[in-house]
Amino acid sequence: MNPYESPIREALINGEDTTYGKITDDIVRNTEGTPPKSWMIAFALASITALFGVFCLGYTVWKGIGVWGLNKTVDWAWDITNFVWWIGIGHAGTLISAVLLLFRQKWRTGINRAAEAMTIFAVVCAGLFPVFHMGRVWMAFFIFPYPNTRGPLWVNFNSPLLWDVFAISTYFTVSVLFWYSGLMPDFATIRDRAKTARRKMIYNVLSFGWIGSAKQWQRFESLSLVLAGLSTPLVLSVHTIVSFDFATSVVPGWHTTIFPPYFVAGAIFSGFAMVQTLMLITRKLFSLQNYITVAHLESMNKVIVLTGSIVGVAYITELVIAWYSGYLYEQYAFYNRALGPYKWAYISMMTCNVISPQVFWFKKIRRSVFYSFLLSIFVNIGMWFERFVIIVTSLHRDFLPSSWNYFTPTWVDAGLYIGTIGIFFTLFLLFARTFPVIAIAEVKSIFSTSAVSAKKKMADPQDFSDVHSHSHDHGHGAHAVVHHDKNFNEQ
Amino acid sequence: MKETKYWKGLPGTEDLISNQADSSEFGESTPQLDGITESISTTAQTGRRDFLKMLGFSVTAATVAASCKMPVKKSIPYIFKPEEITPGMANYYSSAYVNGGDFVSVLVKTREGRPILAEGNNLSTISQGGMHAQAVASVLNLYSLGRTQKPMIDGKASTWKDVDTKVTSELSSISASGGKIVLLTGTIISPTTKKAIADFKAKYPTAEHIQYDAISYSGLLDANQKTFGLRAIPNYRFDAANLIVSIGADFLGTWISPVEYAADYAKNRKVSPEVTTMNRHIQIESMVSLSGSNADKRVPVKPSDEVNSVINLYNAIASKAGLASVSASGYSNKDIDAVADELWNAKGKSLVVCGSNNTDVQCLVNGINSMLGNYGATILWDRPSYQKQGDDTAVANLVNSISSVKAIIMAECNPVYTLADGAKFGDALSKTLSIYLGERRNETSEKSKIVAATNHYLESWGDAEPKAGVIATQQPTISPLFDTRQYQESLLVWAGNTTPYVDYMQANWATNIMPTQSKYSTSLLLWDNTIHDGEIVCNNTAPTLTPNFADMATSATNAKNSVAKRGAIELKLYEKVGIGTGLNTDNPWLLELPDPITKCTWENYLVTGASDEKYFHNPDHKEFKIANVTVGGVSFKLPIYCLPGVPAGVFAVSHGFGRTVTANAEFQHGVNVYNLLKENTLDVKIELTSEVAPLGCTQIHHLLTHKGLGGYKTRHIIKETTLDEYKKDNASENVIGEHKRKDWIKDELVTLYPGHTYPGHHWKMVIDLNSCIGCAACVVACTAENNVSVVGRDQVIKAREMHWLRIDKYYTGDDNNPQVTFQPMMCQHCDNAPCENVCPVAATNHSTEGINQMAYNRCIGTRYCANNCPYKVRRFNWYDYADADSFDKKYYTENIENIAEFPQVGMNEPLTRMILNPDVTVRSRGVIEKCSMCAQRLQAGKLEAKKAGEPLKDGAIRTACQNACPTNAIQFGDYNNKESLVSNLIDKDERVFGVIEEIHTLPNVMYMTKVRNKAKIDEFSFPENLLFS
Repeated sequence: MNPYESPIREALINGEDTTYGKITDDIVRNTEGTPPKSWMIAFALASITALFGVFCLGYTVWKGIGVWGLNKTVDWAWDITNFVWWIGIGHAGTLISAVLLLFRQKWRTGINRAAEAMTIFAVVCAGLFPVFHMGRVWMAFFIFPYPNTRGPLWVNFNSPLLWDVFAISTYFTVSVLFWYSGLMPDFATIRDRAKTARRKMIYNVLSFGWIGSAKQWQRFESLSLVLAGLSTPLVLSVHTIVSFDFATSVVPGWHTTIFPPYFVAGAIFSGFAMVQTLMLITRKLFSLQNYITVAHLESMNKVIVLTGSIVGVAYITELVIAWYSGYLYEQYAFYNRALGPYKWAYISMMTCNVISPQVFWFKKIRRSVFYSFLLSIFVNIGMWFERFVIIVTSLHRDFLPSSWNYFTPTWVDAGLYIGTIGIFFTLFLLFARTFPVIAIAEVKSIFSTSAVSAKKKMADPQDFSDVHSHSHDHGHGAHAVVHHDKNFNEQ
Repeated sequence: MKETKYWKGLPGTEDLISNQADSSEFGESTPQLDGITESISTTAQTGRRDFLKMLGFSVTAATVAASCKMPVKKSIPYIFKPEEITPGMANYYSSAYVNGGDFVSVLVKTREGRPILAEGNNLSTISQGGMHAQAVASVLNLYSLGRTQKPMIDGKASTWKDVDTKVTSELSSISASGGKIVLLTGTIISPTTKKAIADFKAKYPTAEHIQYDAISYSGLLDANQKTFGLRAIPNYRFDAANLIVSIGADFLGTWISPVEYAADYAKNRKVSPEVTTMNRHIQIESMVSLSGSNADKRVPVKPSDEVNSVINLYNAIASKAGLASVSASGYSNKDIDAVADELWNAKGKSLVVCGSNNTDVQCLVNGINSMLGNYGATILWDRPSYQKQGDDTAVANLVNSISSVKAIIMAECNPVYTLADGAKFGDALSKTLSIYLGERRNETSEKSKIVAATNHYLESWGDAEPKAGVIATQQPTISPLFDTRQYQESLLVWAGNTTPYVDYMQANWATNIMPTQSKYSTSLLLWDNTIHDGEIVCNNTAPTLTPNFADMATSATNAKNSVAKRGAIELKLYEKVGIGTGLNTDNPWLLELPDPITKCTWENYLVTGASDEKYFHNPDHKEFKIANVTVGGVSFKLPIYCLPGVPAGVFAVSHGFGRTVTANAEFQHGVNVYNLLKENTLDVKIELTSEVAPLGCTQIHHLLTHKGLGGYKTRHIIKETTLDEYKKDNASENVIGEHKRKDWIKDELVTLYPGHTYPGHHWKMVIDLNSCIGCAACVVACTAENNVSVVGRDQVIKAREMHWLRIDKYYTGDDNNPQVTFQPMMCQHCDNAPCENVCPVAATNHSTEGINQMAYNRCIGTRYCANNCPYKVRRFNWYDYADADSFDKKYYTENIENIAEFPQVGMNEPLTRMILNPDVTVRSRGVIEKCSMCAQRLQAGKLEAKKAGEPLKDGAIRTACQNACPTNAIQFGDYNNKESLVSNLIDKDERVFGVIEEIHTLPNVMYMTKVRNKAKIDEFSFPENLLFS
């Protein structure tokens, strides 16, 4: 990392009095002692919602898929909408940890831990839907290609649903590895602060006995790079393959070549919006305003306005291509999408995804905590509608008008969706309570260059050499910087 | 000792036969274990590896064997196996479906002694192998939970002995005291039953036999009495007519003998390069009927103007014939005048039929036919039809004098439900000796003092004479399931004749039928062969008639007066194809059958036209506005259904619903409108309420011409042309995009990918849209053959009906009088199937014979195949409809609103399950199912051919839908057999096309362009209409 940063550049760690020790204190404090009341209330709400979601899952399995609102024409609706939505949200984590790491974006350090956690929890929620949308979920193991006594009967490698199985399981595995490997030094920090033997032991196991030796740091950085390299193509592949679920079909409105880039852009868009939502909640809940700064919000909002615009271009491209194709089924599908019985969904999608993020061209709004939160919610809603629009409006009126139908959800559909939000937040709150919610080591790695207090010292030549000494020998590293500072693990 | 070699057979075999004992006792050693056994036995040294191999094998084998739980089978084998029953092999018996005068000759398929399917009997000269929906569904009535299972006295179970004693003694005393005894039945077309009734009347001289038809044809019969002196229906020859004009008679759907008429009608509509003539069909009607939907020209008129149209037609033709006209109707319609011109031009080759139940109107129609010279040409009196014999006057007298009736015996009817004064009639039943002879519980059985439970027709002996001299037989295909007795036998017992009915019938045949036929020399031969064939055509002398058309002027005046009291809104009462008069409205197959005209199920509704937007429903939310209808002193509420083609100011409601006594409440939706028969339906009041209700409609109307991003474009899902265009170019209108289909096949149908190969058979189906009349017999046949679940009204409203075969209905032309095309739609068995490549577990795949197969036990239910099917023919088991395999066994008891008990709708209780076809898997929940092209029949057909050692003959395998079709619209066969009918059609007939072929699905089900006998196909003319947008 560049050891020098212009003092004019906005700081990424705020607080006049922030020191390495204070960073550790601020972040680890949340895992110690009694959780704040706000956390308790949030956790209670989330876990009740999650339990309701679990109940809805059980109810579906017990009764049959008929408890959903699906019909003979619309065989996928909220289930796959939720699946794609969650998978899309899961995109930001990898993007932030891997791609931004490779691009050496310092601002990622404040948010990557939570973003990665969010990825994993989102993929868990996403994974529930393809499994539980099966009519015979107890036969779900049929989708794995394993040697069997039925012939052997193999899976159908032509099916995009099978590609999904591989794409998502790979993505999940790599994301978990990436997340966990980053956690190890921070677990060690918690362990070293632990006051009880049991706590010490648990975090020691979690940290895989991390001792912070130079060799460990060197391996740690190599691993980070390797995983970043592995993950980067996954950012593109996962949602590309999810888009194949639709693009390889014959359904007008699904059968489009634009889907892979369009889906990837949409996924990053929705993922960043969800990270934004979570960060704004977390920084408030755990008083981490110093580490998740307005500068972070602004960077995120820039990505949101960019990807939102890409998505908007994709929407318009679809319409233009449908018109230009001269193919009546496609022409009708897109006409119906925008002006048919589900036009309210299309309007919601367009408003939330394309129009609303454009306000981020204004710096004032981009830097406003309130508007960031509001718009992140808008984008989350809009991206859910995007998937709903693609799936349901294409299916409900396809080739033969005799089979046209209308889909109306049931309480179970809604319960499952809300339930997964509950599961997501339950997991996230547990994570925030027990794991360091910000990557301590990584934030410290940019402290010397990007902290307000450091910048202040930099401006004062007397202190400059002192601060700089922490990282001058790590010019090669793009990732966590080895700290020889004796305070590092103690404070 | 010298070895003796024995030999047998041809030289060269001697080495094989030896008396030496050292050759292997078991011939060849078991191949799989060769390596192991050899090394053990020859070397006698068991190596370590061999030992381990053997050990491993034994342990594994023992483990596998020990871990399989062997189910305990509690089946009891036959002690003496009946000669004709082979488990797994179906037996077929001829029989006849008779419901009042409705007659269809059937072939009943039985498996292991259970009747499971009724198919058409090709040997019948009446139904000609065709079926209608009610006849197919009649088998299910046998296993109905609504069966009257034992004789009852005053609502309590009794015995036949007690019933017979009580009835005989009471009837005797009534008869002795001169009390009136009435035997009320539907139309009886059975000669032997008539004889039994005569015996009964001989025993009880005060007994009177009254016949009535729920939907009365009394007017037609009385008109024939008046003009010909014979109270009967003539023999209509729809196959001999070049021009058919029907005024409100749905002769393809419900009128007198629809299967016969449809078969005859379609004979003249099969065009080919060789035959380029076809009949022309004009329908003048108010409510859109099945016949009207098939007409080349349809003239929508108000119900009152149906009568006026008859008068107009009479006058127009009389003036051409130079005969006296009658007083004018005061109604003028250019279309009717044009019809008269056409009729006059087709003199002697035309046929005018009318559905009116007004004697005077029917007299005028007889006059028209007479002036056109149709008698003797298209209307014959050689074999009068006996299918309707009801007498309105007698029934009216009975209802009026019901209090003076001392005993009433009712059979083959449900008067409490179907009489206009049903309620009053029902009350009277409790005050007299009322005896109901019925097969299922209904409104009448509920009110009757004695219920003498009768057999289902498949448990009975019987005969039927639908037309003079054409006699069909019924034979039992199963022993009576319950303690029941066929009603003829009850009548005989009460008449003091204890002969079993079969002997009585046989004796009757020997004395009365034997002399009228010359085919068989002995009465035993006659009996055996007729029972086998199901029908015999006896000699018949045409009745001598004295036509009298003198009093047409009075008829016209009366006819005109009959519709004088009309208001702004007229109500038409009509009969539905699947439901009919309502005697079968407890049959779930029929209730769930989408009505061919409205595509609605389970209930009736108020039908009106598409001219008034305030009645429109929301096409997607299924919210139908409820209206309050007031007819005279009666009012009721029903949801409104807007149907293009019904003229403004006309509302229609069907009979057959609103039953109150059935096996379960799910069969009781809708409103009974028989009580409106006594009201003036030509002046009704309709008030919209603020309420809405869903209707179980399986298709919501949409255009084939849609506004898309490129403006209005038409989907070429159906193709139709006119006869003139067809004569010029056999491939007319058979286009794909801008190409002629044959050019498109040659130039555009290219692919880089290798397709499937079909080394053996390649099954294909061809459906002629010109012959298909949309009657939906095939839909019920498919349901019956393939164990398709009935899901109930609630699920149909949620668009989850399970039918493998549906009939799509599309409109062209004006929304006030559109042209209708029916298109049977089932799995198209695409050779490049979109469903196959998206299934992650390969549960659906392509057979080497071109069939798209489903492996139910591999299916995990992702439903991607259903989404990706462009024809939307795949059906998902949302719940455990068949109670096949689920955690939640009580689906029906918990999920259907307001119903405490919900058996029988699905195949989910033991009695109804007897209908299941054992050759077809019952699907569990969570799997997709769809048309298998009757895979079980393909297999059976191939095995038969294999057993016979011959190549499979074209036509040897017939699918269930094909067998039920009354018009032979469906052809099925092997495309690889170049002699087959389908291969000739597909290769040579230029009308053949596939649905949405342009997406390269390569369907194996092909259709043939519809040819209309009219000048021009109606243009699409209503772009901005709320109902259709």
